[in-house]
Amino acid sequence: MKFKIQNSSYGFLLLFLLGTIIQLRAQDQKSTVDSSLLERINYLEQQMNYHKSGDDHFMVVGLANFGFSSNKTTNTLNGISTTSKKSNLGDIDQFEFSPMFLWRHEKKYLMEFEPTFSQNGLGVSWADISYFAAPNVIIRAGYLVLPFGTYSKKQAAGWINKFATDPIGIADMPTSDYGVEVEGGLPLGDMKMNYDLALSNGLQLGNDGTVTSGYLVDNNTNKTITGRLGLLPFSNSSLEIGVSGMFGKVGTEGTSFHNVNGNMYAFDFNYVKTYVPFLVNFKSQYNIVDISNADYTTADEWATNYTFKNHSTSSFTQCSIRPTGIQALHDFELAARYSTYNTPSNSTWGSDQSAFAIGLNYWLSWRSVIKFTYEKYNGNSTGSEVLNAFTGITKSNTLYLQFSIQL
Amino acid sequence: MKINKNLQPISISIIVFVGILFITTINACAPTKAIAAKSGVQLWSENCQRCHNTPSPSTFSPEIWETVGMHMQTRALITENERDKIVDFLKSAR
Repeated sequence: MKFKIQNSSYGFLLLFLLGTIIQLRAQDQKSTVDSSLLERINYLEQQMNYHKSGDDHFMVVGLANFGFSSNKTTNTLNGISTTSKKSNLGDIDQFEFSPMFLWRHEKKYLMEFEPTFSQNGLGVSWADISYFAAPNVIIRAGYLVLPFGTYSKKQAAGWINKFATDPIGIADMPTSDYGVEVEGGLPLGDMKMNYDLALSNGLQLGNDGTVTSGYLVDNNTNKTITGRLGLLPFSNSSLEIGVSGMFGKVGTEGTSFHNVNGNMYAFDFNYVKTYVPFLVNFKSQYNIVDISNADYTTADEWATNYTFKNHSTSSFTQCSIRPTGIQALHDFELAARYSTYNTPSNSTWGSDQSAFAIGLNYWLSWRSVIKFTYEKYNGNSTGSEVLNAFTGITKSNTLYLQFSIQL
Repeated sequence: MKINKNLQPISISIIVFVGILFITTINACAPTKAIAAKSGVQLWSENCQRCHNTPSPSTFSPEIWETVGMHMQTRALITENERDKIVDFLKSAR
């Protein structure tokens, strides 16, 4: 009996030892696997932290245009016609290199700076800082694009514009100025609206009645208010209609122009919708520029006094169709545009101008395009004959080939 | 522009009142449930093409999309909610 008990005890002891050894080996293997996994996870965490975004961010984007134009212009004055022909690589409408620098300071500030190099030399399109003050309220200061119409702010970039040229008149409007701005987009039930209000140094009146902008030093103590209200009445945001106004003194303090004011208005329309298999894009803008009456003097030796009604209008209407739903043709786009520009008669720069452009575009990617544009232009001078400013009738035909890319 | 001293408190009151009205109006603006329920991909397809072709999500890194989203909000004047949804979509669909 004693022998049996001893044998049983040895058996239990042996089993216990065997179980303990197996358990220890299993734990050892497990800890080896665990430590290997932990090392891997630690490494991945380090990699994640290495690539993790910071609060701030700096980047460079921008755009570039380059192309060729072939032009034939005929001018008829007093029954005599003269014709000139030109062909240019990288002319003023065809060459632009504009890097755009964006600094994001956390999620509240954004600094934007776009220098531009073109045939006009080196310039600055805008340089401003935006503060995202509240949901749908952005406050901006600096050299900013004025909220007058939508062309300058939204459609002028070469890779966005459906044509190789800007619409006449619209592109000649003052675009950027030094000032402050508040803007935002708002939901309105099924609709949306947006607002944009700027206070800037304002336009300055030239000695011939034209106005220009972008002066760091104001020519008077009055500031110019520019504002735009936009409404998107459809729930799919396909339609936007907007009205803009720009009001302020343009005359220089201490001169005979000191009381001259500028009142300007713009109406814009934008409709973009897919009608399978086509994407239809319709855009339009109408500008009115009214400068109050003033007496001007010619710069020549006779110093002739003259006056005129300083009223200008400019407009464009364009439509483009892209067969996005047809595989073989979805990179092509057809476009047509009609634009007008009427400047004051009896001034030294008066004319009634119109241009019709048709275009065929081939999209290499969503942001790079090759554009063929043919533009026919008519200009009838309404300049003062007394001041020798009448320049007759000008007609031109121009063919453009342009490559545009957003970088 | 000179303002009569007696009119200064009135002018300040009007500015404050208009300011409060402006902020209240902005905060009171709200979308319908259907509009609020729109996804990032739907907003991306509806809003980007108002000005240019819809961008490919693979064009930029998530960090860059954040910055581009802020820039586009200043240009297209989309709402902040729309911007966030579009940027989230562009970041996730790369």
